[in-house]
Amino acid sequence: MEGREPAHPGAPGELGGGERSSPPQDTGRRGPRARRRGLHRYRRVFQTVFLILFFALLTLTFWPLGNIWMSGFLLADPLLAINSVANGVFKWQFLLAVPVLLSPLFFGRAFCGYVCPMGFLVELIGPRRERHPGPRARGFLRQVPLFGLMVVLMLILFGSAVFLVFDPLSLLTRSAATLVYPAVDRGLRLAGDVLYETGVPAVQDGVDSVTSLLTGRLVFTDGLAYKLQLVMLIMFIGILAVSWIERRLWCRHLCPLGALLGLVGRRAVYGRVVDDQACSACEACTAVCSMDAIRDGGLSTDCSRCQLGLECADTCSRGAIRWGRRPQKEHAHDPSRRALLKAGGLAFAGAFFLYTGLGRVQRNVFLIRPPGARSELDFMATCARCGQCMKSCPTNVIQPAVFDAGLEGFFTPQMDYRRAYCDWNCNECGKVCPTQAIRELTLPEKRLKVIGRAYIDHNTCIPWADGRECLVCEEMCPVPEKAIVFTTGGGGGHGGGQGSGRSGNVKLPHVVPERCIGCGVCQYSCPVTNEAAIRVRAVVPTGFLSR
Amino acid sequence: MREMNRRTFLLATGRWLLIAGLAPAVSGCGRVLRWSESQGRTGQTEDTAATGTTGRTTTTVSTTTTASATTSTIPAGEATTTTTTTAAPAIPDLAVIRGDSPDANVRAALALLGGMERFVGRGDRVVVKPNVLTGRPPEYATTTNPLVVSAIIRMCLEAGAAQVVVLDYPTASARGAFKEAGLTQAVEQAGGTLKYLSSRDFEKVEIPEGEAITSWPLVTAALEADVLINVPIGKTHGMAGLTLAMKNLMGIMGDPRGRIHQDYPRKITDVNTRVKPHLVILDCYRTLMRNGPTGGNLNDVAMPKTVVAGTSQVAVDAYGATVMGWRPTDLPSLVEAHRRGLGEIDLAKYDIVEGTA
Repeated sequence: MEGREPAHPGAPGELGGGERSSPPQDTGRRGPRARRRGLHRYRRVFQTVFLILFFALLTLTFWPLGNIWMSGFLLADPLLAINSVANGVFKWQFLLAVPVLLSPLFFGRAFCGYVCPMGFLVELIGPRRERHPGPRARGFLRQVPLFGLMVVLMLILFGSAVFLVFDPLSLLTRSAATLVYPAVDRGLRLAGDVLYETGVPAVQDGVDSVTSLLTGRLVFTDGLAYKLQLVMLIMFIGILAVSWIERRLWCRHLCPLGALLGLVGRRAVYGRVVDDQACSACEACTAVCSMDAIRDGGLSTDCSRCQLGLECADTCSRGAIRWGRRPQKEHAHDPSRRALLKAGGLAFAGAFFLYTGLGRVQRNVFLIRPPGARSELDFMATCARCGQCMKSCPTNVIQPAVFDAGLEGFFTPQMDYRRAYCDWNCNECGKVCPTQAIRELTLPEKRLKVIGRAYIDHNTCIPWADGRECLVCEEMCPVPEKAIVFTTGGGGGHGGGQGSGRSGNVKLPHVVPERCIGCGVCQYSCPVTNEAAIRVRAVVPTGFLSR
Repeated sequence: MREMNRRTFLLATGRWLLIAGLAPAVSGCGRVLRWSESQGRTGQTEDTAATGTTGRTTTTVSTTTTASATTSTIPAGEATTTTTTTAAPAIPDLAVIRGDSPDANVRAALALLGGMERFVGRGDRVVVKPNVLTGRPPEYATTTNPLVVSAIIRMCLEAGAAQVVVLDYPTASARGAFKEAGLTQAVEQAGGTLKYLSSRDFEKVEIPEGEAITSWPLVTAALEADVLINVPIGKTHGMAGLTLAMKNLMGIMGDPRGRIHQDYPRKITDVNTRVKPHLVILDCYRTLMRNGPTGGNLNDVAMPKTVVAGTSQVAVDAYGATVMGWRPTDLPSLVEAHRRGLGEIDLAKYDIVEGTA
């Protein structure tokens, strides 16, 4: 793989302009005027438009607008689509991913350079100048995409979608949903509070009307908050920060979607074409390429990396580089069979020993998935960990799982019934799930969907334990024929008489199993401190052994 | 590893310690700020509480008896005082109207009570508090009838109100609940303003006459309003028996309001000693007779097609209980309110006018 590379690739300071009499590359950099021609001049415009589109869709993902097209970017993500289809989940909207998957056959990784909002952010925030780790490290890094793809393949074979944690679009959606929108919520709330303190009625009315407009959309009655925010922040910053090791290291070597598109597009029909008569091998292009795609001293191109940014063409002082139909023989991307076997073997061994199936046994009875979620095994295999469901949830009950679903289930959605409850009138999460790991349910279907069942802890429940009135759970129960009923009397079977002398005619709550759907409003509103006296437990048989 | 002399080592250590110390310091500042803010808040609330109560007593006085210290700034107020003095027996304590149209019922009831002009003056800011416990269409009788609410808004605006704010603190997400209850549209069409509450709308307020609770976060807009109109709907309630006007005030209570349910009669009476709506209109066009207060089953809905209006929470609740088929003495909260001197629960002692529209 490294055979054809120069000893110090992309180091024009040392090599450039050595033997041949070429102009020094600093004249070439902001080179001759009027050379920038072609569509690639508008690359920034494309990127900006897609970034805005991305955030516009994400911002509009609120009740009741939920729609699968809100996840348009994720639908267009071939990794997600392939994974879902491999697990037998198909929705016609996944077809959006087909053109994205096939486009590299013609245009290489143009998606990365023109569309991907994550790539844009990495490019925008990262350093402009080339940086290098040592040549050995570079050689190693260049093998990472292949290895990563092998791992992805193995994980798909073993029915785990955990690799989607690193899918760039899923990652950006997740980071934005858990970081940006809570920050916006807080910022707006703070601004409103400050303006309200002025005490001027006109200002207060203005704040009120803006608040009314944004409530449930950008501002929430009970501020948005997510678990794992710090982890998300560190992960996101980390991805941006590796750019300081090597420019756009994430896009070049780590991104699994980039690796997939690169694999498809390694013999792209159109791309960078070099006129080797005109080329002076000054390697100015190698230095300016932000994707590490130029090999052989500027003469050949690794189409598995080239994103058609054509900075090289703009830089070349001799006009030797242009966009066009590529000669069929020249391919720089040529991983050795040995590397492939090594990567495949390692990935297989890793996946085989990591995914024995034992870890999939669902032991956590408090792990409740959103209504419409597939059975735990299928859910783990299809959930993209993108956080769209969390963004769309109006009550903020959907929270990322930390360890409740095991390490593999990191950031999968989970109901946190102490935080909030599942709204009776809402079925948003299934409407926006891009992989349909949470199936779309109609409202009547969702209202009948049993996702758990509430159990009363008689040791802490106020009427049962203390013999005092309470019944908030019964009050809040939204099921038409209430799933919590009460008996009046001497404290049921469980030491009820013990609690106090008044328990003789206190109303004692009971859960009617066949009516409870596990929405958790009882657990949310239970006035018992910290841990509710009524808790929703999983009742739907899930997991590896129960299939 | 680069070698370090002592100086650079100390400098580097110092720098990291500074950074490490900065984070807790910032959070500490935040805490201090919040604490000082809360100190300022309680002072403020005492002020507003004082003015609030005095303002309220003058208005109640002006409506029930002849008022010497009438709100002279409002000409309409003066006009009412004259009517009360001349035709005092003409205005009943309670107006009960039955009829097929919810909004006509409300208008007829208010006409019996002396018209909305008696309560709302020109330029007043009115707060209307319906019951929007959770989102359900009006047919389920879980939330106050939108027609009743819009009729009230229109009457307030006709009486010259500058602004009519409709607010509640639903247990479901607010936007969804109001929309599902048909109130978003009704309020918008009638010319009112919907207000979704957030944390800045609540302030901890002292309850001087409170026995079980002595302070609680309440909605400031409701306390500071020139006119507060309570518009509950009649529903059963697993624990309270019925939820009518008195319990509807839970909707202007901040969290942790779930705690109200232990020793409920005393606590809800405490709140009612502090907040006294100027006008109470109980919507019993549809009532929820079982599985309340959330409902969700059309078989549980009855149609008394009644509206009960008055100026006293207790009086309205006492009559409302009979509409729901209960005796006022069956409701512990009413008995408690009576014991605390908030009003009579013996309906015979009230001047009640019943009619149809």
